[in-house]
Parts: sequence; C-alpha cells; structure tokens
Amino acid sequence: MRRVVITGLGAVSPHGLGVTAFWNALLEGKSSVNALTRFDPAAFASRVAGAIPPFKTMEFVPKSYRKATKIMARDIELAVVAADFAVRDGKLATKGVLETSGDKILGEGFAKLDPTRIGCNIGAGLICTDMDELSEAMIQAKNPDGSFSLARWGKSDDPAKTSGMDKLTPLWLLKYLPNMLACHVSIIHDTQGPSNTITCGQASAGLALAEACRTIQRGAADVALAGGCESKLHPMGLMRWSLLGRLTTTSNDNPSGACRPMDEAASGTVLAEGGAVLIIEELEHARRRGATIYAEIVGVGSSANAGDVTESDATGEAPAAAVSKALREAGVAPDQVQLIVPPGSGVAASDKADAAAIHRVFGADPKGAVLPMRGGIGDCGAGAQALDLVAATMALYSQTLPPAVNCPHPIEHLRVPQAKSAANLEYAVVLASALGGQNSAIVLKRYS
Amino acid sequence: MRKRVVITGIGWVTPLGHDIETVWRRLLAAESGIAPTTHFDARTFPTTFSAEVKGYDFGAALGQRAAHHAHAGPNSQFALGAAYQAWRMAGLPEPSAGRAASTIDPYSVGTYLGSGEGALDFANFCSTALAARPEGSAVMDTKTWGGLALKTFHPMTEIEQEPNMPIAHLAMEFNARGPSLNCLTACAASTQAIGEASEIIRHGDADIMISGGAHSMIHPFGVTGFNRLTALSTFNENPKASCRPFDATRGGFVLGEGAGIVILESLDHAQKRGAKILAEVVGYGSSADAFRVTDQHPDGRGAIVAIREALRDAEMSPADIQYINAHGTGTKENDSTETMAIKTVFGDQAKNVPISSIKSMMGHLIAAAGAVELITCVLAIRDNIIPPTANYATPDPECDLDYVPNHARKAHVDVAMSNSFGFGGQNDTLIVKRFGK
Repeated sequence: MRRVVITGLGAVSPHGLGVTAFWNALLEGKSSVNALTRFDPAAFASRVAGAIPPFKTMEFVPKSYRKATKIMARDIELAVVAADFAVRDGKLATKGVLETSGDKILGEGFAKLDPTRIGCNIGAGLICTDMDELSEAMIQAKNPDGSFSLARWGKSDDPAKTSGMDKLTPLWLLKYLPNMLACHVSIIHDTQGPSNTITCGQASAGLALAEACRTIQRGAADVALAGGCESKLHPMGLMRWSLLGRLTTTSNDNPSGACRPMDEAASGTVLAEGGAVLIIEELEHARRRGATIYAEIVGVGSSANAGDVTESDATGEAPAAAVSKALREAGVAPDQVQLIVPPGSGVAASDKADAAAIHRVFGADPKGAVLPMRGGIGDCGAGAQALDLVAATMALYSQTLPPAVNCPHPIEHLRVPQAKSAANLEYAVVLASALGGQNSAIVLKRYS
Repeated sequence: MRKRVVITGIGWVTPLGHDIETVWRRLLAAESGIAPTTHFDARTFPTTFSAEVKGYDFGAALGQRAAHHAHAGPNSQFALGAAYQAWRMAGLPEPSAGRAASTIDPYSVGTYLGSGEGALDFANFCSTALAARPEGSAVMDTKTWGGLALKTFHPMTEIEQEPNMPIAHLAMEFNARGPSLNCLTACAASTQAIGEASEIIRHGDADIMISGGAHSMIHPFGVTGFNRLTALSTFNENPKASCRPFDATRGGFVLGEGAGIVILESLDHAQKRGAKILAEVVGYGSSADAFRVTDQHPDGRGAIVAIREALRDAEMSPADIQYINAHGTGTKENDSTETMAIKTVFGDQAKNVPISSIKSMMGHLIAAAGAVELITCVLAIRDNIIPPTANYATPDPECDLDYVPNHARKAHVDVAMSNSFGFGGQNDTLIVKRFGK
C-alpha cells in the first residue's frame, strides 16, 4: 500500500492568511470573531462573524490570470489564495508558482512535477450570488409600480431597451458553480490529475482529503491539493442559518466570546469564512524530492446519520462509526490517540452528540485532549474541517497542544486544553459532522 | 486485491417518464421529452423550452414513506423515486419493513451522488431585494432586506438547496450509514460519483453504494445563467428538434431535469445474496483540463486522458468498446471536441464504434446526466440495442463518426462506454460490461 503524507499547508481564516498567522493565533488562544461589518446585519438577531482580514486576490495569481479574478465568487478567491500558500509551503514549482516567482525558485528546493500526476480535490459549499451584482438587472426588469417582472427579466417590452438578464455579465453563472474552486486552482497550477468537488457541508474537506488520499494510494496521482473553502458571510447565509436557529444571539456585545463549542454555555454557532488547502503526497515521492513531511494520513472513515436531515445523531453512533473505521484502517487503538478535534459547532444539541460519539469510541474518560476549533473562528462550512486538519497537523508536527477558545467548562467532563502546552502527540483524530448528516473522520500520525 | 463492482439495480425519473421500461421504449423510438417550459413563465426568455419531468407523483412513488420527506425539494424527490426503483430491482429489503427487520449491515451501505444545488426562490429573492433597494441606489439595504427575508423565506426550502440534501434523504430512507458523499462537478458530476462510489467498493469501504445523481436547473436563475453563456439552444419554433448533437446545424443544449440511480455492489456480496447482476463496472477514468473555465481544451486534452484512463483501468483496448454513450450536448464546441478526443484515442477503430447522444431526446440533466446515460449503457447491453441520436439531418465535416442517426440499431453490445465533461474542464469516463463475458 502506498503511504500518503502531508507536505504543504495553506490556510485562510479569520486569523489571517497563511498557516503561520493561523497557528500563532491558535497558540495564543485568540478569538478572531468580531462584530459583523461586511453588511448591515441589524435585522438579524446574530450580528457577529468570523471574517478574514482584507486581502487582494490579484496578488495571489499570476499576471496572466488577473482578469479571471473578476469571475470569482468569494469562496473561489479563498480557495485560490489557500492553494497559493499551500503549493509554496510544499515547495511545488507549479505553473502558477513559476509564472509569479520565476525559475530561480528551482534552486531553492522547489520541485517541478508532472502535471498529470497532480490531483485537486477541494470541498465547497452552496455559493450564493452577490446580491448587488444583480441590482441593475433587477431594476431593469421592474414593472412601472416597482415590482419585479419576470417577463421583463427575459425581454424588455421596449425594443430600445435591453432585458434584465442582459445586464448580467455573460459569465455570471460560472462565478457560482461549486466546482469552480477546484477549476480555477487546477488552471492556475496546471494540475491535470483527478479533480473533484465534494459538497457535504462541514464534512466536505475531510471527505475530499480522504478521496484524494485514495487516488494516491491506488496510483492515479502522486500528489494532490486537497481541502475545502467556503464563505458564509452573505446576507443569504445569515438569513438561512438564522431561520434554522443555528446562530448564537446572546453575545452581540461580546463577539470574541460568542462561539462556545463543547462548553456548558454553548448557545449557537457563528457564521464565518475560511478554509485550507493541504498538499498530500505519496511518501516515497515526498522523500525523493526532500519535502518537509508534516504528518502521515493513516486512516480515513465516513458515515451517514441516516436520520432527520437537519438533526444531529444524538446517540453519536454514526459519527463514532466513522472514527472507528478510520482507527481500524490505521491499526490504532482509541487509547493511543492524544488529540481529538471534534465537530464542535457551538450548537448545544450537536455538541452533545459530538460528546456522545467521543465517548462511544474513546470510553467514559478519554485519554486524549479534545480541542474544539470553532470558538475563535466560527463555522466556515466546507472550509471548517480543512482548518481543523491543518491545526491537528501542526500540533503533531510541533508537538504542541494549543488551548481551546471559549471552553472553560467542557460538557461531559471532556479533557479540553485550557493553556498551550508541549505534548507528546503520536496520533490525532479529526472528526467533522455536516448539517445534513455526513460524517468524516481522519487519523493523522506524527511523522518521524 | 481490489473487489469487482457490479450493478444490481437501476432507476430513473426523467423527462421521458418515471420507470425504466417506459423511458427505454421511448428512447428507442426516438421520442422527445422537450416542450415549452411550464415550471415558470419563460415566454420572454431567449430559450422558451426545456425537457421537464411531467406528471411525476412523489406521493405515489413513495407511498406512505413520502410523509418522512415532507420538505424534500425537487432534487431529493427525483432521487428518492429513482432510488426506490433501483433498490427494488436489486431485491434489497423494503424500508417499510422497519430497520430492525433488515438483514443488511447499515454501515456497509453508502450513498454517493452527483447532485446539484436546489432552486433559489427566485420570485421572492428578486421582490425582497428590489423592495430593499433605496430609489436610485444600486446597493441593497440589507437591514430592510433582512426584515423582509426573515418573514418570507422558509428554512426547509432554503436548506433543501444544499447539494448534500438528496444523499441525506437517501441515507435516511434506506438506512444507509456507510460512506456518504455528494460531488458537484457540473455536467460530469454523476459519472464521477458512480466512478468514485465504485472505487469505494473496490477498496472494501462498502458492500453496496446507492449512486447516481439528481438535478434540475429549469428555473429562472438556471436558464438565465445558461442563456447568458449562450450555451442553450434557442430554436423556439420547434422544441422537439432543438437539440441536434453532432449535426452541422446544432446550436446548443437543452435543459433537462430528473435523476438516475444505480445500485453498485461488490460482486461477492451480490453473488452471496443471489442478486441478479445487470452489468459490471470495469473502467473509470477522471481528469482535469486545467485549461479554461469557459471552454474545453481545443485538443480535447482532458477528455482524452479520461477515456484512456478508463480503458487502462478496464484493461481494454478501443476495439473492445461496442457502444459509446457520448456527452453529446449539442453545442458546437462539445460535439466536435468529443469527436476529436474519440478519434485520438480510438484511431482506426473510431469509425467502427457506434456513438449516440440521448440528450437529443431528454435534454441535459446537468449533474444527473451521467447517471441516466450510464443506465442507458446498461440497457443497451441488456437488450443488444443502441438508442439513436435524434434530430440528426446534416452531417458536419468535423463530426464524421457513426452517431446512430434517428433510429435505434440492433447490435451486439457487451461493452459500453459513457463520457461526461463538465464546465470548468472536469472529465469522467465509465466503462460497463455484460457480466460473465
């Protein structure tokens, strides 16, 4: 069996751009959840968010590709930036890297690879159209009384005027297709191997990583860019999760303390944007090119709750089955795991389900530290588990356990780290559960 | 050693009907499911027609079980109906008998669809957005909008737009607790889903996978998006003749909708329970063009890789392929590029292999297209007959292969290939074979 290791990390999160900003904030136990300012949220009961500090996507693409940034929804921009950080961190001299940095980087340890042997598997969410982008089109399609006219959207009754839809850029649809995250990334970096877009909510990134891992194991690729990105910071996103009652509404005056995953005081989650792309690679391939090996992927598992589409599995049975499957594949016993990253959304009912799943696998008193991740970031959907995977990878690589954010009173007596500490970490489990009932578990091993 | 994967059940809900045999009979008769659009008033749109699913009664399809899926959106409804057909054909235990009665380990049954996003509540979206726009401003006042939106949007209708909802419904209905995924790679999605689901079984991660796809983009946003891309046929005078794959006068594709579901099973599992085997999945190839978001690589680079990989995976040569179900959208670009890719891989054999596009009759089911096309391959093998490419009249010098024009053809088919290519350059190819051959 071909072994698969992690050789590059690129994260974009409310903590900033790049893994260094992300990891340092985690070690500090910092929260980057703030008042929501991207648009006026006054009508909503939840008005806090995990927003990424301002950046220009243009600066992360080759000159020849700058024009294409015009047809990138926010989610796509995040993936493009995360991928740029990942390939540079992984020292891959991809087409995009060579175009921006030139051949000189080949002397700096960067490796040029066969593009047909590089895959790209980036999880994505439901991308919402930018509402103001539609303004002109909708105004053009108005009836005299100001209401919307579907007929005028299709064709103006005044031959001298254009229709509503004609006010949209011809490529409008392409901004919002979920597979455009992987498509733009694959074009920029010329990755011609297997490419996929998993759309399973918060479990997307782990499922994408697991599938990419299988493509490498079976020999269909040697390297893959894998992960997930999503922005939920959109009026439609806020409206949807408000209607579903998932968001905390009690901490608008205390944004940094708003999201309290796995804590007794959990009152709901927080909308966020972010995600990560990881470079994963066949072990011998990585060794041959002298790559930095952060950790090894030793087991993957997935399952479905098979219950009501919006409810968590209160018994924890299905998520636990995903973890057990991944541990079996890894040949690892539950008590060998020193770090468990749970889904921990901050929605009390689902946190309890997560705890039930942990107890099923790891017993009444799990030895491993439980590190909920949403507290300082919020929930960035398809990007969530990608960031969790980066955190677990960095913990294994640096043998350091960061503190949890906003979890002073863990539910179910879970062992949640309250301060940064040096630790002897051999195995980590990263579990995600999607709104919709898909579960994804990954077992990572320290590489030595 | 990797496991062999077979198909033990098939089902579909399509513009030509809602059961296997009706749709198959109509495809062989070159009938069309394309007509003026009725889901919304499209009379002023550049394209006024589509291939809609007509008369599908979800309540009747699911019986009493429909009540468990009260909020299911169109994609989930299509997927559930098609999945029931496939599940029953495979002779698997009826969900109504209760979970405890089933002899199947729920964690050995997975779901992997290539389903699309649901339809946005367009009318409400536009009216709330307009009402929240100060006179003369191009910027929406989100405070006003939020107040209106919270009162007018429905939480379950909104959540049903998430692309993971059809698998959530399937997992619940069939108590399928194994690996559960949805991929959304545009028009290649359900081919890719079936390919990856097969890999899951080959690897031993599940015994059974409910796979395929469900999608409808016949809604104002969908038609707007494709009309702006000028990808749709605008032959409004004669909808039935509007989709003309490989014909010199082809002018775009036609939106269809529906679902195709297959039950994939490891050969040993299927044999152990005495299931009837419809076909074996022997080859899967996947690639990315990595070229442009708008168009395919002019040499068909990615398509060539996907077809070659599928052949290599099947340990077959082009001479072994007796039928190709083409992506064949009816756009200028796709059909000539696909023809070129087939010629590049098949060489001298290209002229000998019959190729057809059922999109000429049932339109393009987008994410679900690959699944209904793979089912078509299974039926072609079962009955040794190839469905036609309808509306073929004027040969195109760039498309000079055998497209089985207008009439179904009796032919010995043991091995068939299905191609799907998505916007953004994702390419997927599957090869299925008569079992035991």
